[in-house]
Amino acid sequence: MNREKVVFSFFMILALTLNFGFFAGEVDNPSHHNVYELFAVIVVNLIATVLKFGDRSQMGAMLLATSLVALVQLFSAALVWAYVVNIQGEVMTAGTMSTIISLSGGAMIANFISVILLIIETSMMRH
Amino acid sequence: MSLVTSLIMRQMRVPIIILIMGYSISILGMVLASGVDDQGNPWHMSFFDAFYFVSYTATTIGFGEIPYTLSNEQRTWALITIYLTVIAWFYSLGKIVSLVQDPMFREALKANQFSQQLARIPDTFILICGFGETGHALAKALTERNIHTVVIEENDKLIQTLPLEDFPLVIPGIRGDARDPEKLIQAGLQDKKCAAIIAVTASDETNLKIAVTSKLLHPEICVVCRSEIEEYESNMFSFGTDFVVNPFETFADIFGMAMHSPSLHLLYDWLTGVPNTDLTNPIYVEEGHWVICGFGRFGHDLYKQLLKSNVQVTIIDPSEKKREEFLGRPENKNNDFIIGTGFDAHTLTVAGVTKAVGLISGTDNDSNNLSIIMTARELNPDLFIVARHNKKSNEKLFEATHANIIMQPSEIIARKIRTLLVSPLMIAFLNKARNQNPSWANITISRIMGALGESVPSIWTLHVNGDEARALCQVLRLGRVIRVGNLLQNPRQRENQLEAVPLMLKRNQKLLLMPTNDIAIKSGDQILFCGTPGALRSMQWSQNDIHSLNYIMTYEDTHDSFIWRKIHQLIKQSDRRNRPRRKRHIMK
Repeated sequence: MNREKVVFSFFMILALTLNFGFFAGEVDNPSHHNVYELFAVIVVNLIATVLKFGDRSQMGAMLLATSLVALVQLFSAALVWAYVVNIQGEVMTAGTMSTIISLSGGAMIANFISVILLIIETSMMRH
Repeated sequence: MSLVTSLIMRQMRVPIIILIMGYSISILGMVLASGVDDQGNPWHMSFFDAFYFVSYTATTIGFGEIPYTLSNEQRTWALITIYLTVIAWFYSLGKIVSLVQDPMFREALKANQFSQQLARIPDTFILICGFGETGHALAKALTERNIHTVVIEENDKLIQTLPLEDFPLVIPGIRGDARDPEKLIQAGLQDKKCAAIIAVTASDETNLKIAVTSKLLHPEICVVCRSEIEEYESNMFSFGTDFVVNPFETFADIFGMAMHSPSLHLLYDWLTGVPNTDLTNPIYVEEGHWVICGFGRFGHDLYKQLLKSNVQVTIIDPSEKKREEFLGRPENKNNDFIIGTGFDAHTLTVAGVTKAVGLISGTDNDSNNLSIIMTARELNPDLFIVARHNKKSNEKLFEATHANIIMQPSEIIARKIRTLLVSPLMIAFLNKARNQNPSWANITISRIMGALGESVPSIWTLHVNGDEARALCQVLRLGRVIRVGNLLQNPRQRENQLEAVPLMLKRNQKLLLMPTNDIAIKSGDQILFCGTPGALRSMQWSQNDIHSLNYIMTYEDTHDSFIWRKIHQLIKQSDRRNRPRRKRHIMK
């Protein structure tokens, strides 16, 4: 068993599961979506991205790309949240919430692709 | 992704993750810790507030407790934030610094820089193995003629001086053992742009290995090798090395030329010298009694040249074995061999230096050579002295001896290789020139002096093909006749002659020495010129610019754009109409 592989897979799958946790629920209902969960998704995604740094293989490049896509989506979601609530000082509305959730939905697809790629790589490895 | 970025990324993984963890723990803590706002209501920081707070705390900017004064619970978290994030930053910065200082990283950085410089070379380049005296002289000469070079050298110090020196072009240099094929490939051996490889390291064995590697990995390129030992030389030729340059043989050859035809030697010296330096004076080698000190490769090669003339030779060498071998040969019966070193007055007197006309000090030790020259000069001030100069650092000393000919191996090799690579036709020219009668060289010299003045000319070859002489080919295709003399007209002022002399014309493998001005040029010709750099530039105009060529041929300026052409035609027509009628000339 390779410890590096365990840590790597752990963060990638955790990114997907957390993302799903945040995404699940009615799109326009703020009470279904927890801000702490979004925070956790961003942190775990950041770590997963950094773990992919410096891999020169084709698969490594693909994994890094999907992670970067997920990060861009999540950052925009967080920015929308911060802009509406902290800068404009408004209460969270259904419209804003659905924007945030759809952005995080995009991130989830990117994370999903990451995990699929990970599975393909693992199954291609011969021992 | 390049190796360098990949290395940085890989090394930065842990520090960045530590930073992310430190930040996220601190932010989460600040959000969870309960506080009180300015009205006394319970209050929690939002993620936005917390990120702001942690950001300015972690970077030690410290704006204070914003937006409200913190509660004790929040201050506890603030303490944790401070120690956690500041330490995380220190750790990351330390990692970056240690990475930058890492020798492996530096090596990778240098290799990266080298391959970038290599990729930036627009056309072909020449790979020089060994950046000693010869390599240095070659790199300078080639870059001065706008030929890109790349250097591979084992000695780190020599590579480090490369960017400090003022070469006309950037010379990418890489440190490494040229015997290692991997290193040669890294230096660009298999690159499509690599046109030639020059192996001029100090060791014959290394040069041999380089030649073998190049012929195996990139058979099309031209391989030039330096070799001092005969066995290696024949070995190099055996697998198709294009040129092997032996400094002793080359020098003996030049010496022979100086002996038999001083004017030919002078011509050689001018045409292969460094452009824009002063012209040298002719050297007259006298026949009579010669003394050779040191009978190694150098002494032996020169001895063979001396044998061709009416000369009596005395050799001084400490080796008994060489003496027996020498006296055993029938062709040496007129000459003498004395055991000794030559730097003491006694041996030199016994050898007859007092009555001799010339002395060759050819040992492989510079101090000995200098001592021999000084002693011999004292015994006979009129001696013609040939000095072998081994180490570049002794240059000043040898200059001070005022020896008539100083042989410096690296200079000889650099000159030969430069001629081989820059103007291959020049070698053919010089070979053909040897077979001419002695007065031919004198006439040629006076022609060159008359046209160019007092400095060493530049040499160039005009290839009459679509790439290098566009306008010329275009006009030739129309069936018009252009003569060699036309090319020598100045494209600015037709009546003036360019300061250039055509040396040789090559057409279908046939060589014609000193082509006259009335010879018509054909497509595919190669013409070797010598002249001033200004003449070269002007000639390039008339080769490639149709207007310049037209002007030379017809006295008329033509116009490129449609409207100007029309206006020109109108003017011409009205001129013709207004001109008074004359009787027609009978056309020939």
